[in-house]
Amino acid sequence: MAATALSLSVMPAQAISPRSEVGVTSTAIKLGITLPMKGSASFGYNQLPGAMKAYFDYVNANGGVNGRKISLVVKDDGYLPKQAIINTQDLIAKDKVMAVIGALGTANNKAVASAVNLGRRGIPSLFINTGFSGFNDRKAYPTSSTLLPSYIMEAKMMSKYVKETYPGKKTCMLYQDDDFGDDALVGFDKTHGDLDFAVKVAYPSLSQGVAGVPDSWITKFKAGGCEVQIVFGVASATLYTVLAAVKAQYAPKWILGSVGADIGSINPATVPYIIGSTSMSFMPSVVDPKDAYVTQFKEINTKYNVGAKFNSWALIGMNTAFIAVQALKAAGKNPTRKSLLAAIDASGSTFPNAALVPLNYSKTSNVGLNGYWFGTFNKTGDLVPNDTFTYTVYTTDSGTGPVEKSSYTRPAMPAKGLPN
Amino acid sequence: MRTTSFKSRAFALVSTTALLATLVVASPANAAATGPTCDGKTPIQTCTGTTSDGAAYKMVIPATFNGTVTIWSHGFGGNTTIPGYFAVDSTAQIAPNGPGENGGSPVAIKHLTDKGVALIGSGFSTQGWNLDEAIKANVELVGIFKAKFTTTKKVVAWGYSMGGGITQAFAEQHPELLSSAAVINPVDAWGSQSKYFIDLLWLMKTWFDPTIKLTGYAPGAGGDMQMLQDIGKYTAVLTALKAGVATGAWPTTSSKSALALQAGGIPSRSALLMIGRLAGISAQSSSFDGLVGPPGAAATAWPLAYAPALATLENISGVLGFALLGARDMEAKMGGIWNDNQATDYSKQLSDEDRSVHNAGLSGNSAITAMLSTLNPLNPDAPRIKGDAAAMAKNASTHYQNTGKIKVPTVMMIGQHDPVEPAGIVQRISDLYEADFAAAKKTARKAGKDVPARNLQVLWSVTPKTWSKFDAAGSPISIAGTPGTGHTNFTMAQYKLVIDTAISAADNGYLPWNGAHLSKVNKAKGLEIDRSTAYPWMKYYNK
Repeated sequence: MAATALSLSVMPAQAISPRSEVGVTSTAIKLGITLPMKGSASFGYNQLPGAMKAYFDYVNANGGVNGRKISLVVKDDGYLPKQAIINTQDLIAKDKVMAVIGALGTANNKAVASAVNLGRRGIPSLFINTGFSGFNDRKAYPTSSTLLPSYIMEAKMMSKYVKETYPGKKTCMLYQDDDFGDDALVGFDKTHGDLDFAVKVAYPSLSQGVAGVPDSWITKFKAGGCEVQIVFGVASATLYTVLAAVKAQYAPKWILGSVGADIGSINPATVPYIIGSTSMSFMPSVVDPKDAYVTQFKEINTKYNVGAKFNSWALIGMNTAFIAVQALKAAGKNPTRKSLLAAIDASGSTFPNAALVPLNYSKTSNVGLNGYWFGTFNKTGDLVPNDTFTYTVYTTDSGTGPVEKSSYTRPAMPAKGLPN
Repeated sequence: MRTTSFKSRAFALVSTTALLATLVVASPANAAATGPTCDGKTPIQTCTGTTSDGAAYKMVIPATFNGTVTIWSHGFGGNTTIPGYFAVDSTAQIAPNGPGENGGSPVAIKHLTDKGVALIGSGFSTQGWNLDEAIKANVELVGIFKAKFTTTKKVVAWGYSMGGGITQAFAEQHPELLSSAAVINPVDAWGSQSKYFIDLLWLMKTWFDPTIKLTGYAPGAGGDMQMLQDIGKYTAVLTALKAGVATGAWPTTSSKSALALQAGGIPSRSALLMIGRLAGISAQSSSFDGLVGPPGAAATAWPLAYAPALATLENISGVLGFALLGARDMEAKMGGIWNDNQATDYSKQLSDEDRSVHNAGLSGNSAITAMLSTLNPLNPDAPRIKGDAAAMAKNASTHYQNTGKIKVPTVMMIGQHDPVEPAGIVQRISDLYEADFAAAKKTARKAGKDVPARNLQVLWSVTPKTWSKFDAAGSPISIAGTPGTGHTNFTMAQYKLVIDTAISAADNGYLPWNGAHLSKVNKAKGLEIDRSTAYPWMKYYNK
């Protein structure tokens, strides 16, 4: 017994410390993201990593997470699923990241989860930037979580809004003819939002960039006598639709889905065309002068993301990093992939963050946020709820539950924007 | 030479009527075993003979024979001779061929004899799908060799393509004869492999040219001529589809249902891609990576919407000859239509991942629904194949179906985007093995025993990161031989690595996994050992 005790006492510390996790050392935590950074699909999204890094740099400058500095490896997938697969494989095998965070796109993340076998390998892909409801399938995506409210939720809320705001008006919709649009169709159907359309046009992804195609959509909408026009598409589809509408002198009441509404960031020349248009957001307005999160994140952006405009993308990116830091802290002093996932399941729903609706992570839910407020685009192309920045927030689920006013009280921003 | 040259022969368009009188159908020889007759030369002795079913064999034995012998199983060969186009090739092969070689690469042979390893192999008594005949020949050949060379200690089986499937089946059925195996881009079990072939052929015929016969060929030479006419029609369809990628136009020979899809605005490239996704062929090929596009506006649209269709086209071109010749040969052997797709629900063969990843290439969900609806069994414009009961029964009872069980230490090698033997064939074997291995480890640990050795090593032949090229005008450039694509597209260095790995396993009783071996894998270039792959299994298993 004495000999054993002696031998243990002289063993080096690392020999008896817990097995270290991939991407985690005593001084650092490495995370990764794949998303479009260049090309036509990158607009707006390519600002996410800069904002995320800025927040991580801010945390690192203030002691890191339990003494560990966080780094983010960014890879450009051009919005191509096959490239996203390669990037994710590289992030895991070559860069050796602990987790993927904030990856973008439904198709990309479905492809990655399947081809890279994230679930079976226990590799977290957290806070995916998509509202595709299918990711809530815990069996198919045991290590994935989404950040955005589901597109079903968005469509349900939009239905309520249209019926209350424009009763009796002819409503029409343009939607993307894939998983994204399919979710929207569910949200609008009889058992969910129950909104009827005079004209519905489905566009295959990428067709929006083909000359003449957006004009053909507008022709259909005009012929249908549409008075309220929903666009449930990506930003480039919204952009080309609005431009085609201007050309055809088609001027309905625009309701732009949250995914593709921010075309002013892509092309400032379009701002005049969307002034007064309606859209939705789960985050506070980026020009809200009294929002503590916006104020804090804006300061961090100015200092650590030098030269980058603070817009809705920057706000989402910074908020994602803010949530990630809390998840890492909750994962324990020596975080592992397993403890990180467990921490999100156990306490993810309580993480303070800028969103005006709560996170919904649990042992049975991969879903992040669950609601929106409605607003209009102002003269600078920013979405605002009203002149006083008073938000009426709605919440619902991806099922047939009602759309209700949210009673959620957002936790206060931790001191200096640093989670406890 | 078989596998590597067949494609070019299959696609030589033929003047069919002129050939009718010259067809010669091969039939198995029926003679007693002969040999081995050895030349007694040194330092390399060569012996030849025939097995009891008439399969010609060859043995090459170095004077320094160390007791290890390899037995090679060759790839698929046509079973009908058409002078000038196809020749039944029953010559014995003892090693993989390099470009323009037959019987086995001298480089590969020397590599082994220099180590004191002997090589044997036969030409098999029949060609086409010959798995059962081949195993019989291999068993007999091993016996003949051991009787002649009594110092034999280890037998290592290897083979590619059809021969890969034969090698796997050989190891499954006769592990007692083998010390290890090297299985190179193997065919799958006949049920799976034939479904892959028939799905591709039937879908192409149904949409693009319903006058293609595909099944119910006349017996004998007349049927062979009908098959050749079909090859011509398939080739014409592929040519039209290539032209239609840019315009969206469907072949003029398309069915009414297909032309209705065209009228609805669905481009032919989407239908082509759909066929590939339903059958399970890769959407990446030697020329088209689906990752990069020409600079400018098409940078994203090209890899998403166009390249997958063109890759499918290129890959179908690579498999069509094998598929049609194999299907025709089996019909002759079974005495009728041996397959039946009346109950196949093709809509279930489009995976959720494909529906999502290739959504743009497939022109969106509405187009997907429209295309799948035309394949409904009730659509009279898409008649299903109705099998002949007797031939189907014979087909079901005749062939050994590979199980994928690993019974001897086995190294496998396959390309990520092999159009003839999709990577999913090996993926399934690997997945099944990993499950068995995990259970065996658990059992061993529970019993306090040593954890068993891992008996399967898969070497994936992988592509470069990106490989598509474009000219100054933004048009794609055709690329041949991209690593990880094409059928049996391996280097001699890779073949050497594979057989050395199998011999090492035979010598030691376990596969090498150490750093020295991994260095050799790296040195062979283009190969990866990756147990995290997740290539989709063949559609046959999606039942």
